[in-house]
Parts: sequence; structure tokens; C-alpha cells
Amino acid sequence: MNKANTGFLRPRLGARQPAEEDPWAKAALLVRAAQSGDALALNDLLDLLTPYVSRLCRPIALAESPDAVQEALIAVFQGLPRLKDPRALYAWVRTITVREAVRVARRAEHETPVGEFDDVPSSHSAEVAADVRDVLRRMSAEHRAVLVLRELEGLDERSAGQLLNISCGTVKSRLHRARHSFRKAWAR
Amino acid sequence: MSVDWPTTELDPVRRLRVMAAGLNAVMYADAHLDIPFADVWAVASDLEGELPHLVPTLRAFVTSPASGTRQHAWAYGPFGHRARFDVVLQPGWCLMQSRYVVGGMAAVPEGCGTRFAVLGGLRQTWPAQTLTALRPLGHTRGRRMIGRARQRATARRTP
Repeated sequence: MNKANTGFLRPRLGARQPAEEDPWAKAALLVRAAQSGDALALNDLLDLLTPYVSRLCRPIALAESPDAVQEALIAVFQGLPRLKDPRALYAWVRTITVREAVRVARRAEHETPVGEFDDVPSSHSAEVAADVRDVLRRMSAEHRAVLVLRELEGLDERSAGQLLNISCGTVKSRLHRARHSFRKAWAR
Repeated sequence: MSVDWPTTELDPVRRLRVMAAGLNAVMYADAHLDIPFADVWAVASDLEGELPHLVPTLRAFVTSPASGTRQHAWAYGPFGHRARFDVVLQPGWCLMQSRYVVGGMAAVPEGCGTRFAVLGGLRQTWPAQTLTALRPLGHTRGRRMIGRARQRATARRTP
């Protein structure tokens, strides 16, 4: 480990930074230190990545979210030594996380089958968030992943397709079906 | 999707599992203890008083506060050698590293008891085959360390 180098990095993470500073730039510095074997830098990186990974996993993996977050972060950290360009961390973490969340959610779905879209019950609750979760719960993990990437992460269809290893047409059809199920649920 | 989704934070034990994977740790183990979290963590977080009881190769562990949750410490071995450690200590979480080794402990309430986890690793890059060969031994050592923590916590509870 380069002690002088990591000693320079860690105080900067905890210090007050200008609002416009990109947190992923800070993460890139921590990646370098973590790749050199600095466990405390890895600890700081975990602090930084966990909220983002959780935010991606929650709408895809739903109740399995804690497992998905753990599995995604394990995959990220195991692959960290092979990450050549730390500036690519953001997209790299997103790709791994979405794939792990889908994998964990599909594993759970095999154990607990979910209902079909047509089974979506009437919802008169004022709790919109609960309604959204209810609709999401009845989708497949793949449909939820497409929604997250398009609506939460703002990826275009081509990028979302590349990340999920599916064609642009499949992204469009899944998105159409997911949006349709939302409209149907709200119309009731 | 404009809903503000609640984030799912990792609990400390899950967090230590992630660290073990990231550090390619040779020692990781976790187990349920039928002892309340406060009692388990009272032992784990008493680094000066209890760590030498949990780690047989340690004669003494002397800490000095640094900033916030960070501390510095000196570990003394049975033959007089010593090593400087940087320590992160907060409720349910402890991570320590010297120039050559990394150690960690984590605890989270589980039912009426506690899930307690320990980690140990080497900082230098070692051949994968060596680490794979060491891992079963590390797991056994981890289980023993958890057993010692159980004994210490039980002893401290007994008036």
C-alpha cells in the first residue's frame, strides 16, 4: 500500500466539499487506494456505493433487496481489482447491480410465483407508493429492470438493452407492457 | 418513476461479508449467539481489554483516539514485536488494518440474540492457491474466535 497516497485520500472524503464536486470522482480516488489493498479505503468506498446500489436494487428485487444489495456489492468488490479505469465506476457498478438484482429476484420468483398482470387488484389507496410497489411486485424482474434503467436512471433503449443483454425491440416491448400495467392499475 | 424509494442499507454483518469478498480474506465466519447485542458488542468493542482474549497471538492492544470513529492502536505479540493499526470503531462495526494484516468484527441483533461475524486477511498479494489452501484453516480460527467471544460475553454477564 502507498500510505502517503491513501492518507491523502481519506481526509478529503470526510471533509466538507463544494456541492458541485462529483462524488464519483472521489470514488475513483478510493478505488485506486482499495486496489492497492487499503481496507479502510474499501470501507469508505462501501459507504459511498451502498446507497446507490440500494436505490437500484429496491424497485427490482423488492423484498429480496437486502440479498440483492449484498450480492451486487460482493460482485463489485470481487471485480474491483480488474477495473482498469476508475472513472468508469458509475456505469460498471450500475451494470453489475442491475444484473445481480434481476438474478436474485428471479431466484426468489422461482420459489414464490407472482400473479399475472390481469390479477392486479383494484387499488383505492391514497398511498401511491404502496400502489406502485404493488404493481411492480406483479411484474417480472426483467420488466422491473427495464423500468428502473429507463425511468430512474434515464438510459436510452439501446443502452438499457446492452446492459441487460437484450435487443432494443425487447426493451421497447417490456417497457410498453410495464407502462400498460401501470395505466391499467391506475384506471381502476 | 418519481417515487422516492427507501434505500436498503447493509447491516454490519452483511457489510463484513462484502468486505471479506473484496479483501479476499482468508478468515471469515459468522454465527448466532444467544446473548443480547449490547453484551456481545461490549466485549467486541473493548479492544484493549478483550481483543487479546479473542486473538491468541496478541499479548496486548493499546489504542489512542484519533478523529471521530477512527483510532490508532499498537498491537503487541507474545515475543515483543509490535504493529501499528488504524481502527474504525462504531456500534456493531470494527475494522482494523496494519501494514500486513486486516481484521474485522461485526454484530447485529438477531431475534433475542446476536449474529456475530469476524474477518481476518492479509494485505499483501498472495497466490490464489495459497489463499484457497489457508481458507479452511481461517474458517476454523474464525469459529474459535467467535466461541471465545461467546465465553467472554457470558463471563461478563455472570455476576
